[in-house]
Amino acid sequence: MSDTALHPRSLLWLARQEGRLSWRDLVWLMTAGYRWRGRSVAIWLLIVAVVMHVIAWGMVRRYADVSLGAGVESFMAISGSIGLAFFLMLSQALEQVTRLFYGRGDLDLLKSSPTSLRRVLGLRVLSVATSTCAMTLFVAGPFINVLTFEGGPRWLCGYGVAIAAGLAASGIALVLTSALFDLMGARRTRLAAQIVAAVIGSAFIIAIQVVAIVSIGTMSQSAFFHSESVMAHAPDLDSPLWLPARAILGDPVPLLIVLVIGAAMFAVPVLLLAGRLGDYAMAAASADLALGRSSGAGFTGLFLGRFRARSGAQLLRRKEWVLLLRDPWLASQSLMQLLYLIPPAIFLWRSYGESQGALIVLAPVLTMAAGQLGGGLAWLAVSGEDAPDLIASAPITERRMILAKVQSVLLAILLVFAPFLIAMAGRSLEIAGIVAVGIALAATSSTLIQVWFRSQAKRRYFRRRQTSSRIATFAEAFSSVAWAGSAAIAAGGSWVAIGPTVIALLVLAGAWLIRPK
Amino acid sequence: MIVREMDSSLGGSDTGSALAVRGLRKVFQRPAVDGLDLTIRRGEFYALLGPNGAGKTTTLRMVAGLMKPDAGSVSIFGIDALARPNAAKQITAWVSDEPMIYDKLTPLEYLAFVAGLWGIDPKLAETNARDLLRWLELAPNADERCEGFSKGMRQKVALAGALVHDPRLIILDEPLTGLDARAARLVKDVLLEKVRQGCTVIMTTHILEVAERMAERIGVISRGKLIAEGTLDELRSQAGSQVGDTSLEDVFLTLVGGEEPLP
Repeated sequence: MSDTALHPRSLLWLARQEGRLSWRDLVWLMTAGYRWRGRSVAIWLLIVAVVMHVIAWGMVRRYADVSLGAGVESFMAISGSIGLAFFLMLSQALEQVTRLFYGRGDLDLLKSSPTSLRRVLGLRVLSVATSTCAMTLFVAGPFINVLTFEGGPRWLCGYGVAIAAGLAASGIALVLTSALFDLMGARRTRLAAQIVAAVIGSAFIIAIQVVAIVSIGTMSQSAFFHSESVMAHAPDLDSPLWLPARAILGDPVPLLIVLVIGAAMFAVPVLLLAGRLGDYAMAAASADLALGRSSGAGFTGLFLGRFRARSGAQLLRRKEWVLLLRDPWLASQSLMQLLYLIPPAIFLWRSYGESQGALIVLAPVLTMAAGQLGGGLAWLAVSGEDAPDLIASAPITERRMILAKVQSVLLAILLVFAPFLIAMAGRSLEIAGIVAVGIALAATSSTLIQVWFRSQAKRRYFRRRQTSSRIATFAEAFSSVAWAGSAAIAAGGSWVAIGPTVIALLVLAGAWLIRPK
Repeated sequence: MIVREMDSSLGGSDTGSALAVRGLRKVFQRPAVDGLDLTIRRGEFYALLGPNGAGKTTTLRMVAGLMKPDAGSVSIFGIDALARPNAAKQITAWVSDEPMIYDKLTPLEYLAFVAGLWGIDPKLAETNARDLLRWLELAPNADERCEGFSKGMRQKVALAGALVHDPRLIILDEPLTGLDARAARLVKDVLLEKVRQGCTVIMTTHILEVAERMAERIGVISRGKLIAEGTLDELRSQAGSQVGDTSLEDVFLTLVGGEEPLP
């Protein structure tokens, strides 16, 4: 359609503009702004799609024959998977809706124009729903494709359920954000919504794990959904709670109902709240302008001694901790991984006094978490330096500066994981020692990788840090996984642990060799 | 094009100068700084002018130790800044046009942090910091976090950070960009006072009136080379202007070859 065919300020004209902006944002997200990366990103996407199909093949192929007559147990397992995916979608949608009001960008321009802000923001909510659905389809697609290939076209209904879930998640996200605006005011809503989004994203899986540990003494979600206690409380076969599961299995009527419900859950909030979206955007802009005037040093200033350190290194460490503690968004984002430590903590507590098997299960969980947390904190400290010129112009060597920042990261990791290690040491000093070494190696490896691949960036781009160097992202993930495997096998008392240890070292060596010079 | 002739009294010896740059070179896709020679006297206010992309910022970043040159030497108060960067940085301060401070710190905390990096005694640092904040009219905001500050306030915090360790050489890259008249006047007064106290200041600016009124000498840089240098009168003469009241703008445009002088 040509430009002239679209009347300026018409819904289609605005939709086209929004579509173009969303597409460019997506391209930027994947290419980090480098045009030359376009081709390699396409190749990466292709590889990821192939790998995901292979993984899906291994995971769900055997379920391709599950049919509508399979019974409550299958419905329970399918519904559990849908629940997990739905909470992740809701988390993503909530974050996007928040960005819609606070990502200043062009809002000032739009507000100063005679275009209806209500119409523009309504379209943007639709774009949130589209991207939420697209992301879900990208992740769920390979599984649906494998099931369709093996079990027939009835599994294609899974796409319909994914779309309905995306629409419903976007509608709920809009309602939640509006409620936060009304309850907490514009100034606090951004942070609250981001924290709620992060908690929702991990809440379902953590809740299932916690309930599984408490009720049947295992961290396995699969075992939980098939356990007798859960099955005893499962609704009857004709319960409406099974509608999404029935829809996925190819029953057309439940699919239609699910689609209608999903569309309604999106459309009703948009229609009801559209009139207030502009007010929220205005309030968000005013909140930004009022930010910071009343905030002082607070307890972090007192706690960290108001920068009266004896050495430059000590100062840098304190600075990193203060900046992190005073930025609730960054703290929540980087420490969110700690939420995943809740189930292991409960598992540790529940299994205290039992066999050492429980400790062995915890070894990889803690090691992996340390690696991921270390990578995030190291990125903030090294790449996310807010005043690089100041640090570079100070009479402190780069080596000492980097060392101080690495120390700040590792000390923070030590603080977080010490309680776990102390609790484990009470049961088995040997396993606690092995896990401590695993945590130290995983955190140090991730930190080193971030140091080698450092590139200056704004701290607010923390969530997008993976796009700046995919090599660093993959190296960090692979080394954490390898150290986790190594810790688990070593905790089990096997020398096979040397295998993943060698892999982790090779990953590190490879990252060091190809680091930007 | 006027070819600058080096002042023999400055070019011969670097020991008495605050800053001596010799044969400085930095190449990106093309030479950004191309064999630059520059000497600044102790206690002098020096303005470095040039069109966009002339190499001013690259030069100053290399002098401040933020970037390594491909060739050449930098001497700050007789200290070889490339061989002994920390010793040179100890007596130097850098302020950029885009003040990068920590949003989550208060000005007092920021200044304490900066002073700590330069190894200043905390008690002395606090005294200096409070004096500077009062001087820069930031005392009422001393305990507020910087995240809500305007561009002018942030620039003043950054300037206070540059001064808190009492540097002998202050390097400023477009320090007045985006400041309102009152903030700009305040910053100018502070810099002139520091010069009166014996500090040396080198500053880039696009505001020619500022260079004309504040700087004792002005250097004009184009395509990575210093093409003219001296007092305003000396520049007029180098530009071939016979008129005594020709503005710096006319002189500048003549020197960089942009336009003929306006009548």
